Amino acid sequence: MTSAEDAVAPEPAARGRQRLRRPGRSRAAYAFVLPLLAIFAAFYAWPALNTVLSSGFEWGLINPWRLTEPGSWEFVGLGNYSETLGSESFWNAVVNTTIWLVFFPLLVTGVSLIVSILIWFAGRGLAPLLFRTAFILPMTISLAAVGVIWGFIYNPDPDFGLLNAVVGALDLDFEIDWGPLHLQTGQWLSDLGSLDLGFTELRLTNLSLIAPAVWAFIGFGVITFTAGLTSVDQDLIDAARVDGARLRHVIRYVLIPQLRGSLVIVAVVSVIFALRTFDIVYVLTDGGPGSDTEVLALLLFKQAFVFLDEPDAGLATTVAVLLSLVLVAGAYPYLRRLLEGTPR
Amino acid sequence: MRRSRAWRWVTWLGLGAVMTLVVAALAACGGDDDESEAPATPGEASGSLRVVSNWTGAEGDAFAAVLDGFQEANPGVEIESEEIPFDQTQAQLAQQFAAGDPPDVSVALPGIVRQLAEQDQLMDLDDLWDEWIDDGSYTQALRDVAQAGVEGPTSSIYFKGNVNALIWYRTDELEALGGEVPETWDEFIDLLDRAAEEGIRPVAVGGADEWPLTQWTDSIILRVAGADAFNQLARGEIGWDDPRIVDSFEVFADLISNYFPPDALSASFVDETCSWADGKAAFTNQGAFVNLVAPAECDKSLQPGRDFTFFEMPKYDESAPDARFVSGDLFIGAKESENAEAAKALLAYLGSAEAQEIWAKRGGYIAPNAKVPPGAYPDVNDRKAAELWPKSDEVEAGYDLDDWIGGRVQSEYRGALQQFVREPDVDAFIAKMTEVDTRSSEG
Repeated sequence: MTSAEDAVAPEPAARGRQRLRRPGRSRAAYAFVLPLLAIFAAFYAWPALNTVLSSGFEWGLINPWRLTEPGSWEFVGLGNYSETLGSESFWNAVVNTTIWLVFFPLLVTGVSLIVSILIWFAGRGLAPLLFRTAFILPMTISLAAVGVIWGFIYNPDPDFGLLNAVVGALDLDFEIDWGPLHLQTGQWLSDLGSLDLGFTELRLTNLSLIAPAVWAFIGFGVITFTAGLTSVDQDLIDAARVDGARLRHVIRYVLIPQLRGSLVIVAVVSVIFALRTFDIVYVLTDGGPGSDTEVLALLLFKQAFVFLDEPDAGLATTVAVLLSLVLVAGAYPYLRRLLEGTPR
Repeated sequence: MRRSRAWRWVTWLGLGAVMTLVVAALAACGGDDDESEAPATPGEASGSLRVVSNWTGAEGDAFAAVLDGFQEANPGVEIESEEIPFDQTQAQLAQQFAAGDPPDVSVALPGIVRQLAEQDQLMDLDDLWDEWIDDGSYTQALRDVAQAGVEGPTSSIYFKGNVNALIWYRTDELEALGGEVPETWDEFIDLLDRAAEEGIRPVAVGGADEWPLTQWTDSIILRVAGADAFNQLARGEIGWDDPRIVDSFEVFADLISNYFPPDALSASFVDETCSWADGKAAFTNQGAFVNLVAPAECDKSLQPGRDFTFFEMPKYDESAPDARFVSGDLFIGAKESENAEAAKALLAYLGSAEAQEIWAKRGGYIAPNAKVPPGAYPDVNDRKAAELWPKSDEVEAGYDLDDWIGGRVQSEYRGALQQFVREPDVDAFIAKMTEVDTRSSEG
């Protein structure tokens, strides 16, 4: 084909788009999209817009703000935002959520990557299948149930709590003070220790809540990485071996670069999960002791549904808006990757 | 052309459907303002009622038996009973009332009664209370609890009572520690010391559930500061920095430092109750409901009275009057109930001795109605606890402090108590509560 012919003949995809642009077909396309758009508008766009609007008013669940009743409006402008950003409980929840944000994606990504590579090297057969199933199975349990199960494991009485029974039997009980770090075993859900950073003190009990969440979430990482590993080019590995690469070199320079897409997906989904975590915290500690493990989603819940004597639902929607902004920012690499793969 | 006709037809059909929905919604919103709220006479009530409660297991069965009693007397009423989790009662009720779809009759605590009464969402129950006060079924103090501190009509009834500040012990354990029930605060402390010397944990706490800590603070405030100060604090008439309240927390701080176990915040109420029932802790400071919980949840062979019983936490100051620590569950009726007559008839029944006797016979229950005979209670522990229930206004009492306050202050109070147990710093605790509970400074 000559270059002139190239310029004239449209690409197949472009021809398809041209067909869609014909008025009749375009209307049909809109008709097909309309139900989905209506569902999106009713159940996603409107609630999101309503949440943003609600954050500008002072209201509570018992005395709600209603769009259609101007008499119920107590407009406070950005007052809820300034109150939230100046509140001690908000920043305490931010610190706890940040602990989740750092440790949860790291642990989920790291552990599930290691497990997936081990399974991949083990090849086919019953043992790898059982191994993979063991890691994937907890994913099928609801997070509230995971919380209840781990509540039993963490029970301080060694007659009932598995962890303290093991710690006692193996004589692993300890309490250490290394500079700003205080760490102790035994009181897993009330006082695991603390790390004093000078400007704030991190409560390590949050790690006791992150552990069951990681246990339940690793299955997602294992599935994603296992799928990614099936597309790894065996020739590349063979070539690396021939060139004298050791196992760790193969993993570092061949496998991991080919798993970049899976890594982004697991990391971003874990970040989103960490930001909106609620169930496990609610079931295991309800944010306690004190507010040591109170995360943003739990603070939001309490402001909207527990503190009924005060019109704090506006503050709850403010936390929701701030959380959503961070979520969108956190999900951006994932969204970009999705959009890159979408035909236009 | 054919397509555009079809579209027009679909559009009209859609508009018709929307109009139908709007008309139906408006019709549903419209209430009959003239609807009477007078209770139906027994046997006359009819229609359906939605009743919300938060009891499960043996307690759920007992409440179902109480409702059965109402249905037997009113065969025309169909009751749809709904159980919601205890810790979600406030939130779910608030949602249902806010959405305009409240239950006809629902269990409640004073905190939510106050919120809903202030919104004028509840049925006026003054006529029932006037009658009950006149015939001696209830005291004015109990009516004050049901009124939840709101000006205007009483809008709840008192259905389930509970007596707290009871120090539960295993009879064999007390025997091993000397066998004497302490009469004074000093004797009580001596007993705790003896338990510690014997290598037994002096007390079981269960602070992971937060509310068991309030069993300690309410008992101690009533014994150190007295019922007047307790009730003033509950109603926001004094602040947490009142010297009597500060003294109470000094006493509590000593108890924590000397007798609370290291896992006070790790274990739940049921775990700790069972830990005590198994003999791993000498005492537990709890309400009368332990009489039902210990055999049901821990050891079915435990016989109330024979194997375990209680003594009242002794007075801190022997010259002070008795001050009982009570709690319990109220019931409310929705003002907008579509079957207000039957709802009020059910509320009248729930407050009656007849209804309360049904549950009293099953155990683990204290009837707030003074007409329920002592013989109704199935065992010695329940009878002993029922005797402590304030049946006249001469007996000073305080209603569960945080349940009375409710809302944000309740939640923050419980959190601050957990922090206090971890680090018993009275000044820091009082400062935190003064910041959280500003009712006294706002007047």
